[in-house]
Amino acid sequence: MNANKIYPWYFSSGAIALYLLFIVAPALLGIYYSFTDWNSYSSEKNFIGLEHFRTILAGDPTYLLFIKNTVLFTLVTSIAKTVLGLFLALLLVSGVKAANLHRMIIFSPQVLSFLIVGLVFKSLLDPNNGFVNVTLRSMGLDVLAQNWLGSLTWAMPSIMAVDTWKGMGYIMVLFIAGLLAIPRDYYEAASIDGAGFGQKLFRITIPMLMPTITIATVLNITYGLRVFDAVYVLTNGGPGNATDVINTAVYSSFAKGYWGLGSALSTILFVIMAILSFFIIRLMNRKVEY
Amino acid sequence: MMRKRFLFSLASVLLLSTLLLAGCNSGKSTEGSGKVTLTFGTSQSGIPRTGIMQTMAKEYEQETGVKIDFQVVPDAQWRDLIKVKLASGEAPDIFNVDVDPLSMPANVRPEENAIDLTNEEFTGRMSEEILPTVSHNDKVYGVSFAPTKIWYVYYNKRIFQELGIEPPTSYAEFKAISQKIKDKDIIPFYQAPASGWYQVLPLFETGPNYEQTTAGTYEKLNNNEMKVADMTQLKTVIEQLKEFADLGYFGKDFLSNTVEAGIEAFGQEKAAMLLRVPGTEKEVSEAYPEMEDNMGFFVMPWGDNQTIGVNPGGSAAMFGNKNSKHPEEVLKFFRWITEHDHLQRVFDEGEGNLTICWPEIEPKLTQDYIDYEKNHEKGTVMQAAVKYIDPQWMDIGKDLSGMFAGAMTPDQILQNIDKRRAEQAKVLKDEKWQ
Repeated sequence: MNANKIYPWYFSSGAIALYLLFIVAPALLGIYYSFTDWNSYSSEKNFIGLEHFRTILAGDPTYLLFIKNTVLFTLVTSIAKTVLGLFLALLLVSGVKAANLHRMIIFSPQVLSFLIVGLVFKSLLDPNNGFVNVTLRSMGLDVLAQNWLGSLTWAMPSIMAVDTWKGMGYIMVLFIAGLLAIPRDYYEAASIDGAGFGQKLFRITIPMLMPTITIATVLNITYGLRVFDAVYVLTNGGPGNATDVINTAVYSSFAKGYWGLGSALSTILFVIMAILSFFIIRLMNRKVEY
Repeated sequence: MMRKRFLFSLASVLLLSTLLLAGCNSGKSTEGSGKVTLTFGTSQSGIPRTGIMQTMAKEYEQETGVKIDFQVVPDAQWRDLIKVKLASGEAPDIFNVDVDPLSMPANVRPEENAIDLTNEEFTGRMSEEILPTVSHNDKVYGVSFAPTKIWYVYYNKRIFQELGIEPPTSYAEFKAISQKIKDKDIIPFYQAPASGWYQVLPLFETGPNYEQTTAGTYEKLNNNEMKVADMTQLKTVIEQLKEFADLGYFGKDFLSNTVEAGIEAFGQEKAAMLLRVPGTEKEVSEAYPEMEDNMGFFVMPWGDNQTIGVNPGGSAAMFGNKNSKHPEEVLKFFRWITEHDHLQRVFDEGEGNLTICWPEIEPKLTQDYIDYEKNHEKGTVMQAAVKYIDPQWMDIGKDLSGMFAGAMTPDQILQNIDKRRAEQAKVLKDEKWQ
């Protein structure tokens, strides 16, 4: 073997070892456990085939609700973060004053832990003494004051809104980088040809941003499908199971000691993520022609 | 030669990684100076809120050099967390678990996880009533301070007097007085679904009432000869809770209420009634002196219940981790904390319990409680007598919150309870469910 072939392996061997040890091995073990009845009440692990998968996908409507909530959360927050992120990026590269300051302010929630964000918003959205309702009531808008995190109607939209607020800054930064990479010549040529803002946006900006949009969409979707902290801190899945998602169900299964079932839920989530990511990348990476 | 060198280097990197990782976990409960530190994991309500345990632990450290490091976790998370910690071999040296005779063996798996305390002198001094809740297969594993637990409805005497109302003895009366209180813009009954467990109490603390009305209910449930969904009285209690919620007797937007905020709401007279354990008067009047001598109590009247529900366990007991690196130090701490004077101190400087499960300590029950208990029948609460109820307490709490919000019906809640009972029976290979 010549040196050129050896060195890449030589330098990456440590990282590969750690990756195999902490990512691949636990994932494979998790998939194996999803076919067993492993639980905290006994040291036995019996192979039970697809029983957990049957329970989740065909036997219990509650699990289907968790899957539905996860998909809904992912769709809404992905679209919201992408649209708002793009809008903010366009605004900040268009020559608005103090753009860097605005960029920093919009990005800053991204660096905060959701534990802190969640606790702050839990306080802000408190139905009795929270800032939101108190402000609405003080403006005479009592009818708009809601039990934001405690009602079936508002709990999920509230979580989605908080999550979007926290995550859109990151997407905005991605789009700013993408926008700055588009050559100005295209816009100048389009202006000479008499193109308006809309035409430039849909004929130049968005097609040229497709690689960034693809990255942002995949990031948003994988984050959305993995959501846990936002739901756990804000509502703990309530009221009832109204805001429970797959990962809160995984947590709950593990916590109860039903580890085989929790592993099966994780495996299902892994499969959904793999399939969705594959198709999104295929769909959005199609060659753009001008 | 090149290939050999490459393989050697790869092996070195792997070895180094393993050594580094192994190093991360060393010295977990022993400080660099050689001083022993015992970790003590507990839920918030597992130790007195007054902080007396922490204070005494500091004194113990001065006396013996053994430090106790408390890890206090919110109630709703601890039940689940300790199971995972025990299973992963990362449980603290001392850990608190809510105990009852039915679920302690499954929750703690004492033979694998807990130090055997059977031959310790102090186990012989614990009350006979509490021993079954900390024992398994004739061996004692836990140390508890908790008294047998009773939940009463505490009420504000002044508000009742001003409105000319009396403590209710039936659900109809309970509803009627709640309406009068609500008409005065006071929350009739403080409810706390955000804590996850509080709203479940009315269902199972009134268990003796079901057992009295339909004798043999507990046994049939344990033998899987009847379903929880067949308990019409239980369904009635759930429907009554829903009715209270819909009529606004728990207040507006009560779903965000926590148990901790209950004392404040009651003490500030924002709520007229509150479900609590004996000793509440002390806790409330210490924070709100104007409430002194202003509190009465009565048995919860949901489902027309008039029987006092007694839980022989239900509160936290301390266990020593069998896999601890310092089992002898754990035992020494247990011996120290159970010395008569130390027990007395835990009792006196705790948050107001009127009894403790150590007969040598004089109870502080007032004549009111003694008379009340004489005039009412007592029975064991459902979660301490019926299998697979207590372990799903938090799930039932979630279902009830869902019902208050309009997502579930009482029938669905009952069916879910049966479903989860069957799940756990299956996991535990209970022959009655095969």
